[in-house]
Amino acid sequence: MVTSYQRRGTIQSVDRAARILKALGSGTARLGVTELSESVGLAKATVHGLLRTLENQELVEQDPETGKYRLGPAMLQLGNAFLDGHELRARSLLWADSLANRVGESVRVGVLYGRSVLIVHHVFRPDDSVQVLEVGATIPWHACGLGRAAAAFSGSDRRSSLLAGPLPKLTGRTVVEPHELSLALDAVVSTGVAIVDQEAILGECEIAAAALDHRGRTAGAIGVVGPSDRLHPAAPSQELITEVKEAARGLSREMGAARFSALGG
Amino acid sequence: MDASSSREAHVSRHSGFDSRLAARWIRACAEEVSTHRDHLTQLDAAIGDADHGVNMDRGFSAALSGLDAIEGVPPGQVLQQTGATLMFRVGGAAGPLYGSAFRRAGEHLGDDASVGLEELLAALREGLAAMQSLGAAVEGDKTIIDAWLPAIGSLERELRAGADPDVVVRRAREAAEAGATATTAMQARKGRASYLGPRSVGHQDPGATSTALLFRALERAVNDP
Repeated sequence: MVTSYQRRGTIQSVDRAARILKALGSGTARLGVTELSESVGLAKATVHGLLRTLENQELVEQDPETGKYRLGPAMLQLGNAFLDGHELRARSLLWADSLANRVGESVRVGVLYGRSVLIVHHVFRPDDSVQVLEVGATIPWHACGLGRAAAAFSGSDRRSSLLAGPLPKLTGRTVVEPHELSLALDAVVSTGVAIVDQEAILGECEIAAAALDHRGRTAGAIGVVGPSDRLHPAAPSQELITEVKEAARGLSREMGAARFSALGG
Repeated sequence: MDASSSREAHVSRHSGFDSRLAARWIRACAEEVSTHRDHLTQLDAAIGDADHGVNMDRGFSAALSGLDAIEGVPPGQVLQQTGATLMFRVGGAAGPLYGSAFRRAGEHLGDDASVGLEELLAALREGLAAMQSLGAAVEGDKTIIDAWLPAIGSLERELRAGADPDVVVRRAREAAEAGATATTAMQARKGRASYLGPRSVGHQDPGATSTALLFRALERAVNDP
């Protein structure tokens, strides 16, 4: 939960309204004024006023039957506007589609966001199976191929701070020792690809490569994700690795990377 | 399901956890999973990739068909065989987790022709350890562990209190079910559901739910003919 401290130059009521939106966006689909006032720590009258204002802007709406509040339709427009305005995502659409079709697996595009990777684009595995859209998901950077690919090509300051911070163990196989992770990032730099098997989710393997911008810095990463037994029987196939690297190179080129050969192999 | 005075419970108390009871358990697991397949899939659709019911049904159906070939082998081997089958047939994260749990539990029982419920408890505890080393999950992460752990705790308490086998397994099932229900309020910290962050709150965990089915199956196996 967001803390209630006031930073200089920020506006308290906007901060409070944002906290209400975040509370409504977490798990419980509908909340009453009392529940909301408890969860954000504000008086009921204040919460009520904020809700009325947000409702006017269609950012929240009230369930006519229960009187409880939920997020409103304008939130979807804002979320979509964020994705539409995201340069890496926009430029990755065709590359991700074509990669998914070529290798017959699910493809994700992500960017470093704090200590996590934020998934900004997800193309389903081209078969009939039920899959869940992971756009908007955040995954701890060190446990995921996209995160390692992106971190490997981030500046040395960024890389050090990523390695220094908390590194939670998501499965029994997650590498959480900073030195070991640092060696893994070196390997990504020299091979141009991050192969991460069952470190974020048991049974799931990722092969990812960084997308670089015109400064040769990380813009994000693109990668294939799928069942370990198929993608990583003993090791991923060379063809699969090549396809992922090709897609990342193409995406980097579109992002303005001049020396995409820096991506290795 | 309440068969406190059943003759079979009486039989089980004396013959212990043997080849027949182990096979009955696996059979009951397959039935429970099949019956609740759609429910498990529905739960998984909310916070996972909507395949838990189908995966578990496929795995336990395979384990069920393998039972005939191993009729009469020690109970530990029944569990090991089941574990090996689940490992490769269930898929996803549940395959390696349940697979290693049954395999490790079976290994713990060794080649004894019949063991007491105390030994079964120790074996299930080993199975829990196997899952925790594989998944790194602890209590409260909204996983299988949140049903398996309270079931083990209940088994231990009731056995120490000298309860009858039918009571022991009924309480274990109740504890597993309560554990599964309690996952609804939790925010997932492991598995695909954790990608949803706070949005995973408000949904019961499919893995904890299937674990409760396995303990329901154990209750049935001990009490039913």
